[in-house]
Amino acid sequence: MLRAYVVAFLIFLYAPIALLPVFAFNSGTVIAFPLDGFTLDWFAALRTNSELHSALLNSLTVAGTTSVLSVLLGLMAARANIRYTFPGKAAAMGLVMIPLVLPEIIVATSLLVVVVQFFGWSLSLVTVVAAHVLICTPFAIAILNASFQSLDPALEEAAIDLGETRSSTFRLVTLPLIMPGIIAALLICFTISLDEFIIAFFLTGSDTTLPVYIWSLLRFPNQLPVIMALGTILVIVSILILTLAEWNRRRGIARMGGKDSGGFL
Amino acid sequence: MNLIELRGIQKYYGDYHALRGIDLDIAEGEFFSLLGPSGCGKTTLLRVVAGFEDVSSGSVMISNKDMTGVSPNKRPTNMVFQSYAIFPHLSVAQNVAFGLRKRSDLNAQARMTLVEDALDMVGLDGYGARAANALSGGQRQRVALARALVLRPKVLLLDEPLSALDKKMREQMQVELIRLQRQVGITFILVTHDQEEALVMSDRIAVMFDGEVAQIAEAEDLYRKPVSRRVAEFIGTMNFLPATVAGEKVEVAGLGHMELSDTQSMATTDGDTMAGFRPETATLLFPGQKTEGRIASGTVSEVVYYGDMTYYDVTLDGCERPVRISMRNVFGRPVLDIGAPARLAWSPGAVTLFARA
Repeated sequence: MLRAYVVAFLIFLYAPIALLPVFAFNSGTVIAFPLDGFTLDWFAALRTNSELHSALLNSLTVAGTTSVLSVLLGLMAARANIRYTFPGKAAAMGLVMIPLVLPEIIVATSLLVVVVQFFGWSLSLVTVVAAHVLICTPFAIAILNASFQSLDPALEEAAIDLGETRSSTFRLVTLPLIMPGIIAALLICFTISLDEFIIAFFLTGSDTTLPVYIWSLLRFPNQLPVIMALGTILVIVSILILTLAEWNRRRGIARMGGKDSGGFL
Repeated sequence: MNLIELRGIQKYYGDYHALRGIDLDIAEGEFFSLLGPSGCGKTTLLRVVAGFEDVSSGSVMISNKDMTGVSPNKRPTNMVFQSYAIFPHLSVAQNVAFGLRKRSDLNAQARMTLVEDALDMVGLDGYGARAANALSGGQRQRVALARALVLRPKVLLLDEPLSALDKKMREQMQVELIRLQRQVGITFILVTHDQEEALVMSDRIAVMFDGEVAQIAEAEDLYRKPVSRRVAEFIGTMNFLPATVAGEKVEVAGLGHMELSDTQSMATTDGDTMAGFRPETATLLFPGQKTEGRIASGTVSEVVYYGDMTYYDVTLDGCERPVRISMRNVFGRPVLDIGAPARLAWSPGAVTLFARA
């Protein structure tokens, strides 16, 4: 019974995604069964679409910048959270983590108001990055919290005791030991930013990101198979990145000789 | 010459008064222990010497230099941490060589020689290439020692270094630490809650309770002449009996009268107090055995047989709580049964009178 339930559950979750590659290789322009025949035309169309290429480049730039900034902020927040006690710590950490659960449409709307009405900035990729950092930082903190948690504070003290300064201790001891966590956080933030639509849709200016570009394609029914092809590639890349992140995290734990206390996968 | 001088060390954590005016002198080359129950401030005091904790008031002098405001990496001290703090991403040799990074006067060859000598000293020769997290607890301990000693610090600080080891390994490491300390001649300061460990290893011991030093003494003096009932209870076992001082005379329940001057007395005023004696300072007489000393009589209330030793609980006549007597088992001598009448040979010289708390 339970087994049947799990199977049904997995089909429900993944069947729609499994349809992506099916229609990506289907030669008919209508997304419906029966299938017409096998083709690689839709993938070929991706190669020549310059709008798509600039959207992809935008997305990669945004995701790259976002992940680096989020992880830098996450590093500081996680270290402060694990190593120090100070008044208002719980409240501060709670506020930092709230974007994890806030509805994105609310975040997007209020950010739009703030950016346009209060600051009078024009919308651009910079505003998208700023907003993505807001929603990605909690993920980075969650991952790096675990890294700092499993790092014996005596290791940093030992390095200082052996003559190193605080900064050289961070470089020689702390950084190598939490590197798996940093890489995992970078990859996950990158994926979140790359896939994010609502905030990007609200805050992007004339430069669109990839999800926003895909959405704009939906107005043209004959472009649907191209979206299917693009979607297939995105799903594969996302799965690869997350697998890499998790593999890297487990390797890090094994190297530290610690116990696995769960991750995102 | 005193290598370390602590004067009036006070440490507050918010409202909590962790160290309450510590004065301590530690000589060069001494094996010194800070002994006390958990929460007594011994680890805090060690971290004050290392520089990981600043003091609320008071001064730390090492080699006649004021260490106030000097960070741990600038102090002539090195520490062996309770968790050993072996860097898991480095090899054994890289761990030991870690502190030598700052020694620009050494070339790679000299560095390697120092590392190998240090590993040799702790009995880990040939382990240099191993991954640090592939080591056993005892081996990690040795790496931590080698890593600290390779720098030839003036003081080696050891924070409960043996508490994570099993009993057999612990006893072995105690002996090795003593040998190592004699060999290198460096001042060792050991923090421990294990009184046996402190007695076995140290030249001198400071017993700490509630952020204060209760007594500083050599092991034998600490055991034989504890200054307070609390110290006596913490170091080994001691039997306590109510006593009354009147002038030059003392009356001890179960033992009887004695001259105050014959005992080890810390009671300065007349009145009720406590007398104590160690389990091995009194002897149970077996039927027919004679003695020239004084005899107290009672009843055996419990017998615990340990092979080489037997522990008897004897309720002395006129006392409610039994006293514990330890006897070495000798071939041919019978072990007394519970309920048997007991004659206890004792001497006033082994009795300590404590000042009233």
